[in-house]
Amino acid sequence: MSDILKAEQVTQAKQALNRLRTGMRTSIKGKNDVIDQVLVCLLAGGHLLLEDLPGVGKTTLAYALARSMDCDFNRIQFTSDLLPSDVTGVAIYDETAKEFVFKKGPVFASVVLADEINRATPKTQSALLEVMDRARVTVDGVAHAVGAPFMVFATQNPVDYEGTFPLPESQMDRFLMRLQMGYPQPGDELEILRLARMSYDAIAISPVISRDEVLRLQALTTQVFVEDSVLDYLLRLVTATRSETEFKAGVSVRGGLALRAAAQARALLQGRDFVLPEDVAELVPSILAHRLALVRQTSDALEERAVVIGALRRILSTLPRPK
Amino acid sequence: MENKRPRLSLDELHQLKWLLGGGLVLLAAWSVCYLDLDAWTLMGLTTAAVLVALVRPDWPARVPAWAHRLVFPAVVAFFVGDLWVTGEVLPAIVRLDLLLLAYRGTSYRQKRDDLQVVVLGLFLIVVAGVLTVSLVFAAQILVFTACALGFLFLITLVEAAEAGLPPAPAVVEPSWVHVRWGRLLRRVRSVTDWRIVTLGGVLFAGLVGVSALLFLAIPRFQLENSLFLERFMTKKARSGFNESIKFGEVTEILQDNSVAANVDVSDRGQIPATPYWRMLVLDEYRDGGFRLSPALRRSAFGREQTSAAVRGPVRSRLGEPVYWTFYLEAGISRYLPLLGPFEQLRFQELQNFRLGADPGLLALRDEPVSMVAYRVEGMSTGNLLPDPKFAALLASGRTPGPLELPSLMLRLGVGEADRVTLRAMVAEITRGEALTAEEFSRRAGTWLGQRHSYSLQPLIPGGPGDALVRWLKSQEGGHCELFAGAFVLLARTAGFPTRLVTGFKGGTWNAYSGNFTLRNSDAHAWCEIFDRAAGAWRRTDPTAGAAATVVDETRGDAALARRTDRSWAARFDSLRVFWYRRVVNFDQRSQVETLKAVKAATENSGRQLFSLFIAAIHGIRAWLAEPWDARRVSRLLAEVVGVTAVVWGAVRLTRTWRLRGRPGARGRRLDPVRAEASRWLRRITETGVERPEGEEIFAELQRLRFGARGTWPEPEAVFRRARRTVRELRRMRRRD
Repeated sequence: MSDILKAEQVTQAKQALNRLRTGMRTSIKGKNDVIDQVLVCLLAGGHLLLEDLPGVGKTTLAYALARSMDCDFNRIQFTSDLLPSDVTGVAIYDETAKEFVFKKGPVFASVVLADEINRATPKTQSALLEVMDRARVTVDGVAHAVGAPFMVFATQNPVDYEGTFPLPESQMDRFLMRLQMGYPQPGDELEILRLARMSYDAIAISPVISRDEVLRLQALTTQVFVEDSVLDYLLRLVTATRSETEFKAGVSVRGGLALRAAAQARALLQGRDFVLPEDVAELVPSILAHRLALVRQTSDALEERAVVIGALRRILSTLPRPK
Repeated sequence: MENKRPRLSLDELHQLKWLLGGGLVLLAAWSVCYLDLDAWTLMGLTTAAVLVALVRPDWPARVPAWAHRLVFPAVVAFFVGDLWVTGEVLPAIVRLDLLLLAYRGTSYRQKRDDLQVVVLGLFLIVVAGVLTVSLVFAAQILVFTACALGFLFLITLVEAAEAGLPPAPAVVEPSWVHVRWGRLLRRVRSVTDWRIVTLGGVLFAGLVGVSALLFLAIPRFQLENSLFLERFMTKKARSGFNESIKFGEVTEILQDNSVAANVDVSDRGQIPATPYWRMLVLDEYRDGGFRLSPALRRSAFGREQTSAAVRGPVRSRLGEPVYWTFYLEAGISRYLPLLGPFEQLRFQELQNFRLGADPGLLALRDEPVSMVAYRVEGMSTGNLLPDPKFAALLASGRTPGPLELPSLMLRLGVGEADRVTLRAMVAEITRGEALTAEEFSRRAGTWLGQRHSYSLQPLIPGGPGDALVRWLKSQEGGHCELFAGAFVLLARTAGFPTRLVTGFKGGTWNAYSGNFTLRNSDAHAWCEIFDRAAGAWRRTDPTAGAAATVVDETRGDAALARRTDRSWAARFDSLRVFWYRRVVNFDQRSQVETLKAVKAATENSGRQLFSLFIAAIHGIRAWLAEPWDARRVSRLLAEVVGVTAVVWGAVRLTRTWRLRGRPGARGRRLDPVRAEASRWLRRITETGVERPEGEEIFAELQRLRFGARGTWPEPEAVFRRARRTVRELRRMRRRD
């Protein structure tokens, strides 16, 4: 963060991001806010947990992003009999070479869709821990980098909990943000219905940005300036969650870092090389809510999410914002 | 840019309400300090309990539920017992109020309990105010009202925030009790909009101002007469001003430096150099003390009257009469201090009293429990008090009995051995000559002064016989009562009818309020000896160190100069006098005078302003009429340019200084440029106008406020443009 961004770098970044945003908007109708949030997640180098009902466009969103930035895309359907090696890959013995050769699993892609992640056993879920954190897979003591950029889109159904394994807090903390897609507006849905295609892979999307450009944008994001009073505000928000009696535990240090990175990404996305307090405040529900558990847990995930977000909004309203 | 002000959470509102409620309880409980009631212990306990509850709001939760159930019966039992033992209603009610306040201040309150705190506190303050009519009351009611308004506002906020939540039981520990007061106060400061606070303060000041104006304008009435609070309590007068005194009781009162009375005089030239404020005449000496005999009481005091005015024996003379306005503090005496007989005396309201016309005394029926104000007109201030009735009695030669007048004024009340001693002493004083009362007074005073010094710790030797005679025989020092008592015995032995007078001597002249102040330490005893030739009682002060045994009559400013008090205590007393003059004793006459004074001051100011304006116009005209040559024009231009340059330079310098920041003002303080940018961002937001004119400058200001220093545009240029933009946006808002 010591380097100051140049005005032309910011302008170029803004143009590239506008191209990416426009490209995705042609494929995903009526979800501009969600697209912006996904781009924030991408720029911050984080992973995304999409929590919504089936059939609202989660896979299409991940696919559209991968295609728009000319990256490979893999989809893993998580089930209870899925093994860790089915995700990460496995070392098999090559008769001809007389040695073990690593056969890459589906996680080796720039954009990975972990569909219905909570249907897999905790063992399989935890197989994602290392790759989400370090962008590499270690099999038989050998580390294999998955490449960059790397982004996991995990989805889960908040209503149907039958036969699922809730994600442990350690894994939830590794997701930069949690989003809900929601149903499209009637006008947007009518437009979707008019299209002839049925599935996401039928969508023709041309790349609008290169993989290198994505990496450069991610590097620029880390250079976006955060003024001391904004950092102080961010810290006060995080510590307020730790003294809030409704939460079992407050937000971790990783959560605070995630909020800062996301705020920097939002600033760059809006063509700024500095973070505003609004960047922080706007992102609080999506960055922090999934990291917090209530003392009085409820059986209804939607209700729990609403209570947590309500408490976060209360904290936001009571803390003075830098002006 | 969203500019939403943070708000206090529900718990913080509760904490603030707890703090303010405790403050109200303390403020009300402390009125006992000047109420002069026996409730000090209870007040101390209430203060301690409420302070503890304020410091540790979690402790009331430790009180078991059964204790809360017992509180009400215990308080009722206490009240009934109190009433039974003391028999005084008002003090018992005040103590009951204190107990309830203590309980409410130390237990978790619902909304109705909060309102109870306000009502109980207000009751205590109003009772104290009506009974004492003191200056403290004015300050206290103002502070209490302001705090109570804030408290009620908080109650409303809490109620709004709690809408829909079930009420918490009073004995369960609420979630807000773990308070860090420092943090709370910082939070309050951060959420406070000082503009609103200032507006509230101005409105409150305006309300007080309007109330003061109404007070000036509305007809007078006596609040205490409407409440009849005085009927519910009794008071004891200070020793020394009762109908009987014992020697030695005076020491305590002489060490009390509190104010006993304030006296306003319409003509300061009439104030005697050493005024003797008479309160009570004591004639009968028995059992080592003087008392007001039933005979004198019968003959001197008339029937009880109920009136607001009374005429005295003095008849009016030509010329403007002198008015003396007395403000006698509560708890001094039911006998009013006066310099002598008077023409007329007026009270503020109806009073029950007996007038002693000839001795120049006036006794109220009861001890006043609050300040008494009265105005005396045509008061005699000399050292001779004519008493034709007594002179006639003496001349008639009738001796109806030893305990009747005039024999009583000559009765010694001591044994035969002591009479012999007294006769020997009188022989020593008179040296066998037949003296006039005046000459005897002078010689006896000198004789006493040579044998005894003044002392507040007198020693009366033991032995048989009368104590006063034993003291006379010794060389021990003594205080005024011993000197006066001894003089009475000597004069009566010499055949002069004599009596002892108690009251105040001297006093100080308050240079700030222009009035006389009498303190309890000015309490004094002296004598009046009957001068047969003059047919009058002659004042004589035999106490050692008194200015003159027969008092001189110097008057006027020179005499006042040596009594002038310019100390800080006098400043404070002047406030009290102002309060009495302009508020407590504010009758219709004062009302008219004040309104006239206000009118005159307004007219004078208007006239002065107008004449200043006219003079300025004339000045400008004359200046313009002067011949305009090139030299004058160039000088004028140079002056205009010079002044403009100085102003511009000063503005630039101030701005630069502000943006650079003061030395040592670094650390956690916001960078001056960022602070200035923050101010302009706020101003643009406050215009509420969203126009493209504001967007660009808004972005630049945001960069100055939150951007990296290296990317900043020129701050001063941005602020200049921001100023223009704000002006423009405000104009647009007005147009829209």
